[in-house]
Amino acid sequence: MSEPVIVDRVTKRFAGHTAVDALSLSVPSGLIYGLLGPNGAGKTTTLRMIMDIYEPDSGTVRLFGQVGGGRMHSARIGYLPEERGLYPRMRVLDVLVFLAEAKGVSRRAARVKALEWLQRLGLADWHMRKVSDLSKGMQQKVQFISTILHDPDLVILDEPFSGLDPVNSQVLRDTVVDYRRRGKTVLFSTHIMEHAEKLCDRLCIIARGRKLIDGTLAEVKSTHGGKHVIVAFDGNQGKAQQIFADRRLVAKMQDFGQQAELELAPGADAQEILKALVDSGARLARFELASPSLHKIFVDLVGPEAATAAATGAGNGGSRA
Amino acid sequence: MHKVWAVIRREFVERVRTKWFWVSAILGPVLFAGIIVYQIVQSMGGAVRDVAVVDNTSDKLGKQVVEALEASGSFRATLVPVGPGVINSLVIDSLSNLVESKRLNGFLIIRDDLVQTGRAEYQASNLGMQTIETLQRTLGKLVVKVRLEQKGVNPGVVDWAQIRVALDQKKISHGKAVSDSATQSFFTAYLMAILLFMAILLYGVNVMSSVLEEKTTRIIEVLVSSIRPFQLMLGKILGAGAVSFFQFVIWGVSARVLLSLRGPIARALGADPAQIQTMSLPHIPGATLAVFIAFFLGGFLLYSAMFAAVGAMSSNEQEARQAQQPVTYLLMISYLSILGLTNDPSSTFARTLSLVPFTTPIATPVRWTAGSMPMWELVTSLVILAVAIIGVTWIAARIYRVGILMTGKRPTMKELVRWVRTA
Repeated sequence: MSEPVIVDRVTKRFAGHTAVDALSLSVPSGLIYGLLGPNGAGKTTTLRMIMDIYEPDSGTVRLFGQVGGGRMHSARIGYLPEERGLYPRMRVLDVLVFLAEAKGVSRRAARVKALEWLQRLGLADWHMRKVSDLSKGMQQKVQFISTILHDPDLVILDEPFSGLDPVNSQVLRDTVVDYRRRGKTVLFSTHIMEHAEKLCDRLCIIARGRKLIDGTLAEVKSTHGGKHVIVAFDGNQGKAQQIFADRRLVAKMQDFGQQAELELAPGADAQEILKALVDSGARLARFELASPSLHKIFVDLVGPEAATAAATGAGNGGSRA
Repeated sequence: MHKVWAVIRREFVERVRTKWFWVSAILGPVLFAGIIVYQIVQSMGGAVRDVAVVDNTSDKLGKQVVEALEASGSFRATLVPVGPGVINSLVIDSLSNLVESKRLNGFLIIRDDLVQTGRAEYQASNLGMQTIETLQRTLGKLVVKVRLEQKGVNPGVVDWAQIRVALDQKKISHGKAVSDSATQSFFTAYLMAILLFMAILLYGVNVMSSVLEEKTTRIIEVLVSSIRPFQLMLGKILGAGAVSFFQFVIWGVSARVLLSLRGPIARALGADPAQIQTMSLPHIPGATLAVFIAFFLGGFLLYSAMFAAVGAMSSNEQEARQAQQPVTYLLMISYLSILGLTNDPSSTFARTLSLVPFTTPIATPVRWTAGSMPMWELVTSLVILAVAIIGVTWIAARIYRVGILMTGKRPTMKELVRWVRTA
């Protein structure tokens, strides 16, 4: 199956507003696909339509080549919703077995698998405890196990990293990468670009229910061209702010304090900036020609979008300067 | 089907594991054992009591009273002749002391006005109903005898004339007379109605809180992406129903066991087991049991579907408590009508209640038990109930389907109608 998920011009309206507006995307098999967008962009609604939790008002969802949402294929799909939740009064093992049964796994197989995963994620001693006895991080792990316990071909994760500490974040990342290595497909949503940049093979950025751009990470970066320079200081910044403000040299800048990401003005030379900085007495820790970070692209695409509001018809990619 | 089964099992196992399930499972038999022991102790109240008869009469009636009391088999009587006139307070005091120290159950004081106006006095530490009744009956018979003799009636004739009538009560049920008494069938019907009401309410609310739990913990999203909402609701209702059925089985079996143990219990308490065996018990024929079970299941399905919808449209406990009120009131109507139903099971009122789907689960079993109800009426109620279950479940499933994914404000009536229309 080359494209396990094909979303074709789906639209979903809720009382008063359009959450998802004629959105199309297709997720190729064996990749990690990121659905990116600011809060309220329609990521969760899109995933819920894919999962058959919402019915689209128009448009179709095809999973594994068949028209229809996730319920038909629940045995082949693992879904981690944005709002996590388990039965607080149930025992950990029982919850896992029940959720696997709900996806069509036999009771016995589910038990074996659940114990295996609990062992792997260091929760073996907790399997007879109530969910409510577990710490938040442990509950997250249990929830994650419930998503992949039935070894699905497609994993859909809605904001999987939110609320995870760095250690659990790493565990999750490793598992996701391992999943792709085994030829499975992962579709996840996030508004944190660092995660997306590290993990995604392909991505799609949406805002206000519409697609702004999609493609492989490299494609997105190249179409979103422009020469970029990353500058990091070591103490003294000299006259850096003045130089960066020169529109003949720098078209746009993102300032992170000790570090800045510059988009060069058309025709400008990076060497000129370097010279000007050194002449002004700035001490540099880093001066690097780079492709734009995903974060930069995201802010460029989405920032003005959010500012111009829906009234203007959300001019697509307002700032491709 | 495997998925529905998984939902049923989860619902059943998790409920049965709770403390409350076992508390009420044990409470039932404990209550029942209490009733049995109470009955036995009551029957022991008829055991022989030690009394003194203070004879204050001028014609020495005391001796006859003592004989009559002894003859009744319920008393061991001692004569205390005091002579006519004022009773010595010393005598009363010493007798009271004997009662106090439990060497005497009580004492009877008779004066001349026993025969003249039919008055006597009994003082005891414990005024049991049965004791008083026996005393009154025995004294009454004696007074009648003495008064007739004073008018010159032959004592033999008086003895012969005195006879007790035992009323053999039989109930005509479905064209057959069965050994049953009015109080018994009333009692059975009443008990059934209360059991039905409690079980439907309790386990219906269970379904509601279970729906609510999945909603508030947001686990519903994972479930709905793998199980159809209708399957989920069905599994929940059947699971909770199985729990209540299990509860009933525990109660029924333990009641049976306790009943068969009545003899040993009576012996342990020092009562006469033979007397216990004749104790009246509500007799529940198989047909009544079948009607009870059928209407319990029907009523449970009807109401728990409504409770499931209520759970789905609320987003927290308080909201649910408010939203469940209309459903509870619907159930209360039949509960409040129990007395009316049992008093006159064939009235137009009773007939109407057993034809309305929301009251029939309680009204029909009560009418069936309390008096005769034609077979065709029973079948009609069942059909009406079945149709109502299908209709209500259909509507509830639509509300459930939309409601379980909603958060925030509770829907208005208008919105609910739209859910049902568009779901």
